[in-house]
Amino acid sequence: MEWNRVPTRLQEANNQLPSLVREMEKRVSYAHVLLSRNSGLQITLDDREQKVTDVEPSQGIVLSAWNGNYFEEMAASDLNKSRLSSMARELASSLQPAPGADLDPGPPLQRHWATQQQKDPTLMSPRDKLSLCQDLHQRTRSLDPHIVNVQVRYSERCESRAFASRTRLLSQNVLRLSLILLVVVTDGQRVQYDWLSKEGTGGLELLDITDLELRDLCSRAVALLTAEKVAPGMYDVVCSPDVSGVIAHEAFGHGVELDMFLKDRARSRQYLGKAIASPLVTIVDDPSYPGGHGTYFFDDEGQVASPTYIIRDGVFNQGLSDMYSSHRLSMPHTANGRRESYQRKGYVRMSNTFFARGATSLDDLIAGVGHGIYLNKTSSGMEDPKGWGMQVTSQYGEEIRNGKLTGRLFAPVGITGYVPDILQSVCAVGDDFVLSGGTCGKGHKEWVPVSSGGPHLRLKARLG
Amino acid sequence: MLDAIIRTLGSTAGAHDWSVQQAEKRQTQYYVIGSSIENSRRVHSERYLVTIMNDHPARDGSSQARGQAEVSILPGDLPDLQARLAQAVFMASLTDNPPYTLAGPVDYPSVPMADTEIQAAPRELAEHTVEQLLDSLKRERGVRLSSAEVFIEDSRIAFRNSAGAQGGKQETGLLLDFVLLAAGDGDEMESHVALQRRRHADLDVPAVLARHVQYARDALVARMPRTGTFPVVISDEALAELLMSEGHSPLLLRSSAQAKYQRISPWEVGQTVLPESLSGDEITIYSNSLLPFGARSGSFDNEGHPGRRTLILENGVLRAFWAPQRYAQYLNIPATGAFGNLELKPGSQPFSTLVQGEAPFYHVVSFSAMSPDPITGDFVGEIRLGYEVCDGGTHPIRGGSISGNLYAALAKARLSRETAFLGDYLGPRAMLFEAITVAGA
Repeated sequence: MEWNRVPTRLQEANNQLPSLVREMEKRVSYAHVLLSRNSGLQITLDDREQKVTDVEPSQGIVLSAWNGNYFEEMAASDLNKSRLSSMARELASSLQPAPGADLDPGPPLQRHWATQQQKDPTLMSPRDKLSLCQDLHQRTRSLDPHIVNVQVRYSERCESRAFASRTRLLSQNVLRLSLILLVVVTDGQRVQYDWLSKEGTGGLELLDITDLELRDLCSRAVALLTAEKVAPGMYDVVCSPDVSGVIAHEAFGHGVELDMFLKDRARSRQYLGKAIASPLVTIVDDPSYPGGHGTYFFDDEGQVASPTYIIRDGVFNQGLSDMYSSHRLSMPHTANGRRESYQRKGYVRMSNTFFARGATSLDDLIAGVGHGIYLNKTSSGMEDPKGWGMQVTSQYGEEIRNGKLTGRLFAPVGITGYVPDILQSVCAVGDDFVLSGGTCGKGHKEWVPVSSGGPHLRLKARLG
Repeated sequence: MLDAIIRTLGSTAGAHDWSVQQAEKRQTQYYVIGSSIENSRRVHSERYLVTIMNDHPARDGSSQARGQAEVSILPGDLPDLQARLAQAVFMASLTDNPPYTLAGPVDYPSVPMADTEIQAAPRELAEHTVEQLLDSLKRERGVRLSSAEVFIEDSRIAFRNSAGAQGGKQETGLLLDFVLLAAGDGDEMESHVALQRRRHADLDVPAVLARHVQYARDALVARMPRTGTFPVVISDEALAELLMSEGHSPLLLRSSAQAKYQRISPWEVGQTVLPESLSGDEITIYSNSLLPFGARSGSFDNEGHPGRRTLILENGVLRAFWAPQRYAQYLNIPATGAFGNLELKPGSQPFSTLVQGEAPFYHVVSFSAMSPDPITGDFVGEIRLGYEVCDGGTHPIRGGSISGNLYAALAKARLSRETAFLGDYLGPRAMLFEAITVAGA
């Protein structure tokens, strides 16, 4: 468990955290401190280039002090002991505490967590990891003459966090891995591509890729060279778990982040406790989901991870919150306060967001469509919590005729619509379940690792 | 610390070439919900990005190879410096790439990048910007501020490499992100804007605010566009998003020497690169790093190349790939450094003519997100707000999407005479695309 070893100087800073909290709480009713460090390895290679390098490390500390109305914060990359003490004194002395309700620091807890794994990547040398990537590249490169380049990107990130408040002293080491394989093809006129990605929190067991997956990847990339543009209109659609997940995340998830309630930006607020989706729909956000790319043990405000049922059986049950929004709104505090890094403020953010599994097989989902499209893979998505419009771009769609896939491809396919209409149109939910990892922004910034997914879904959507 | 790193690099076995970039940043961040402060932050960060090149015999026995690895040194890493650099040498030694040399010493051009107004009093400027928004909104009936975020940044960057290049620069940045809510008939709609500039004076808060007040009001009465193929005008921030995509533009990818070297770009110098013959206005593009206060400007880039203005496309013909030194040497073409700001030659028609064309057509002013696929150039974007012009009238629209291929669309585009400077884009304020697919009601 080399990656789980806390460097000596970081441990020294960890030990100092409670005294920094005490220093700030001489002036205010509540304060907390977050220490973070990311490190790791990145390998990229393609037909013509290779690179093995550190992932860009981020190390820093955030001191947060509640002045009665809002948090004032100081953050720095320098973890020198005397520098940290003077930062705490400087922040405390600059505060102007105002009368206001105290924040609840939660029950006492002292604990360390680490990602469970079967094959520890840090026990393998960078040379051996490079060899694995080269092997994957070679296995793929020879599969089709249309291929002009194959890119392999491997990333392992060790994300360490230590949190202290007057009741809590928590630490976690999360190991986040990803492997992306990108195949670029040409027929001499058009250039197309497709990709395969494996990611999550855990060990190298997450990243196994079979020969069948490689062959499917290459044949699909070649098939996309002759993909057509979909005729715009409303369609019966079967969504792959990847597309289902982005609908859960973009269409609904962002609109139930409770800071959006505070800003009066969430149309969902008027539906709290009411039916918003088909009774077949249950949507969950769960930062404690084992192996998810968005998994963590506690959030950046020391709240221990647990699942939140956002929609249960079609009814909007509960939103996601951080300390500030739950305090202001007097709503439950969930473990969704996250920062891009110590350099940025914490916001309410999703973690692993997914539709719950249903009971219909994929064959039956497709068999129930007379004329429609099977949508697979998402390349982008964007939220619109106030207008409740939805934008998801699918890498490709495949025609369904009389309950069967025809092999006719359309690419790319834009999915738009009014969120309640889409969620209410869900008429069958698959019995499978897959999570896909990625990163999520708040608007166009504040990137954090997340996953989304669920089962296949059958619904109606506007494509273009 | 920079000197200590360079001294240690000099004595690190296997560090055959190197570069170091020191970046020290001070940030002031100010967040408001309604008229109340939500959060206030001060951030200081410092790091040293060290790139090490190691030369060694190629493993296939063909020739000498070069590997490259990066390591970031943070404050407090000094006791581990030798070990960190040695680890980077080891990682660089694992990979075989064709050899290349580094940019050598040159005189860097002077490019204004630091705003003294930002440097003087960042917190006061952040507060003033929000007050300016709130004051202006007092005069706008039915429209209020949902939230605002102001990020102010003051950076100092120093660069050195083993070929003797060295430089220093100061940069400032200001990000204003705000959301307006307009109320009407029991409903509310929003307009969201995020603007990034290097100089406070380039924000023009009153003008941006006035435009988005109108957008928020129009969103209240907007309807879905029709389905079909229509002329579409795209303007201002929406156009910059389509063309530049925050640096992930297909135009940048296909004109990059790295993509050419990797066989991802099919473009050839001297050939027309747009798939259909040009029937619209001339499409002439420069990479411009010399634009004062441009978001991607600089007197030198991350590898020590001097800032410059490079002709990339001339009337649809590729004139040069933009090329860092490594890829320039691989392709035997001139090195230009990193792509700067996208400068697009304006057209001949006034904006007013473009938006008074033959009806029906659409004018899109805001997308939910618009990121054309960097490899294929295909795009799909949901319309956050636009206008439908038909039968002599104009009506707001939202929802639905437009789709197409950027290269094909540019071949038949009309460009406005008026230009806009929008952070990393300097070019026509609007473009009229002849035939774009609209998916609507």
